[in-house]
Amino acid sequence: MLSIQNLKAEIEGKEILKGINLEVKPGEVHAIMGPNGSGKSTLASVLAGRDIFKVTGGKVIFKGKNLLELSPEERSREGIFLAFQYPVEIPGVSITNFMRAALDQHRIHRGLEPMNASEFLRYMKEKKALVELDAKLEGRSVNVGFSGGEKKKNEVFQMAMLEPDLAILDETDSGLDIDALKVVANGVNKLKTKDNATIVITHYQRLLDYIVPDIIHVLYNGRIVKTGGKELALELEKHGYDEIKKQADKMF
Amino acid sequence: MKDTKNENIIFADLYKNETDFLIKETEKKKYVEEFLKSKIPDGKKENWRKFNSKPIFRHKYKLGKKAELDFNTIKSMSFFNPDANRIVLINGFFNEKLSFRKNEEIILTSTKKAKIEYPEIFYSHFRKIKNNDKTFFDALNESFSQDGAFIFVPDNISVKEPIHILHFIISSNGNIFSQTENIIIAGKNSSLKIIHSYHSLSRDFSFNNGRTDIFAGKNSATEYYIFEGEGDTAAHINNINTEQEKNSYLKSNIVTFCGSTVRNNFKIKLNEEHAKTEIEGIYMPDKEQYIDNFVEISHLKSNCESKQLFKGVIDNRAISVFTGKVYVAPGAQKTNSEQSNKNLLLTDYAKAYSRPQLEIYADDVACSHGSTTGQLDDEALFYMRTRGIPEKQAKTMLTSAFLKDIIENISTESYKDYVNFLINGRLKGQNPETLCSVKLCPSCT
Ligand SMILES: Nc1ncnc2c1ncn2[C@@H]1O[C@H](COP(=O)(O)OP(=O)(O)OP(=O)(O)O)[C@@H](O)[C@H]1O
Ligand SMILES: [Mg+2]
Repeated sequence: MLSIQNLKAEIEGKEILKGINLEVKPGEVHAIMGPNGSGKSTLASVLAGRDIFKVTGGKVIFKGKNLLELSPEERSREGIFLAFQYPVEIPGVSITNFMRAALDQHRIHRGLEPMNASEFLRYMKEKKALVELDAKLEGRSVNVGFSGGEKKKNEVFQMAMLEPDLAILDETDSGLDIDALKVVANGVNKLKTKDNATIVITHYQRLLDYIVPDIIHVLYNGRIVKTGGKELALELEKHGYDEIKKQADKMF
Repeated sequence: MKDTKNENIIFADLYKNETDFLIKETEKKKYVEEFLKSKIPDGKKENWRKFNSKPIFRHKYKLGKKAELDFNTIKSMSFFNPDANRIVLINGFFNEKLSFRKNEEIILTSTKKAKIEYPEIFYSHFRKIKNNDKTFFDALNESFSQDGAFIFVPDNISVKEPIHILHFIISSNGNIFSQTENIIIAGKNSSLKIIHSYHSLSRDFSFNNGRTDIFAGKNSATEYYIFEGEGDTAAHINNINTEQEKNSYLKSNIVTFCGSTVRNNFKIKLNEEHAKTEIEGIYMPDKEQYIDNFVEISHLKSNCESKQLFKGVIDNRAISVFTGKVYVAPGAQKTNSEQSNKNLLLTDYAKAYSRPQLEIYADDVACSHGSTTGQLDDEALFYMRTRGIPEKQAKTMLTSAFLKDIIENISTESYKDYVNFLINGRLKGQNPETLCSVKLCPSCT
């Protein structure tokens, strides 16, 4: 589904991604871990199409298409979803109007008629229930005045609405209390099918107890320096990144 | 630099064969002398920074004449309510046939008729608001104004439906100059709403030099909405002077949508205690347009409140200017004044100048001001696009969100819808002239 080959990206002349290779197949769950500032969010942003990052090398193929040629909105409609580490506040744009505009585009892209108002509201209600999102958020502006946890839940709610083929969850667990964590993880699991894939970026083993990854990658200093099974997370939890960092620093 | 004398003579000449002026024949000489000496303000004059009169005087104008208009044209406007009080002015002249008075207890007529039919009321308000910073434009209006709207709401009367003042520029051939002098009087304990809209049905150039004086009596509540939508061949100098008595409330809202060069001079005097004024504005200059809002609020007594909120969306190479002046007189304690100006620049060439000016001579006051100018939030735009919303639509959504609070404060639904419709049309890239044309909008509700 997704094939990243030797992807390099920089910002303001500083190279952040230094040759990323990653293969994600339908039905898989990948976790990306790694120390702060290693480039995890940058990778997610580049995949979503943020143009402040300049891609200086490599290829990204998504469902057979050259992803890097598509605009962020086209990527979204093709089935990429990024749950932001820091969801953006949009004063004056209600979550209802926002989702309505987004869903209309997705449906048009799939050759479907946009939903009428009552269908849409029903659909929204259903998806809200899925992520146990409190009803009172809907009239409010996108993310404005939401608590940290509500913002994260809102990201998963949007994911539920858009049903992406590939969801990239950037630290969707951070700032969540243990109950909220379960709710969010539960939501993500319910959305999981054999045809879609998920990349979870996280610092904590805790989340991976609920969203069980098939493969874990360690991203350090712009490269994936280690890949393993789910036991890798436990190892990292115990020993930290010191050993991996040391080895990587020797190599590059 | 243009020879200003020249323009004075040219405009005085327009009135050479005219007779019916609002001023008395005996005062004529004095006024005209003053006018001939008056100066066209340029960007060097303190209150007119950045102002450029050249685009106005680049054209030669004929004096607007009385003309007729098909009622169906008016009726086609979405926010037009055929059942409500209205005054129709065409090329600056009152059109009695198209005007309509619903409430028997109010006076709804022209300034010209009011002078004859209600001389007492007329003369106790006519030119009673003093202006000590007169320019060419003020003097031009004072010397030669002939007609306008006259509204008098007696004490203790409430008018529910908005009274609509409609200005039309109609030209069969050639550029039109017109001016009106409007007087609005809200009696004690009265309440009223006014929608004052300006339209042009002509593709020729036009120059409108208007004056509106509003008197807000004790305990009165007035809402005054201005819509400037004359198309981008129109220049408009709009002088609005208001005086508020004790405990009166005035809410003004001005939407400037079209116009090549527009200058709104809002001078608000809080003459007695506990008067409250709120003024909000939206301006959306496009292309090479210039829109300039000058607001001066004078807190002359204690315990008065004022609030200014102006937001601009500036496109292409357009320029906007906002000057918010707050004067607090010595002894005007417990003054509360807020001011905010926010500008959204849609291109790298668009310009917004924002100038708060506070002149405070009392010590127990709370005066705040703030101003921001910037482009659309890049991160918000990206966030929306990652959900599949096209860039253009995302920009439109963010821009209307930016203006939303002011639009929400418009209390007449049909007018609010109209403003929304125009703004969204503009943001979607529809041609402003088409949008501003009165004939449009059968579909907009
Ligand atoms: N907009 C930006 N401008 C300049 N530098 C940036 C920008 N965004 C990221 N960087 C830099 O890129 C590097 C990688 O940042 P990134 O956010 O991708 O790290 P991360 O792995 O997600 O870290 P964390 O675990 O703290 O979220 C950091 O050195 C960061 O300072
Ligand atoms: Mg990050």
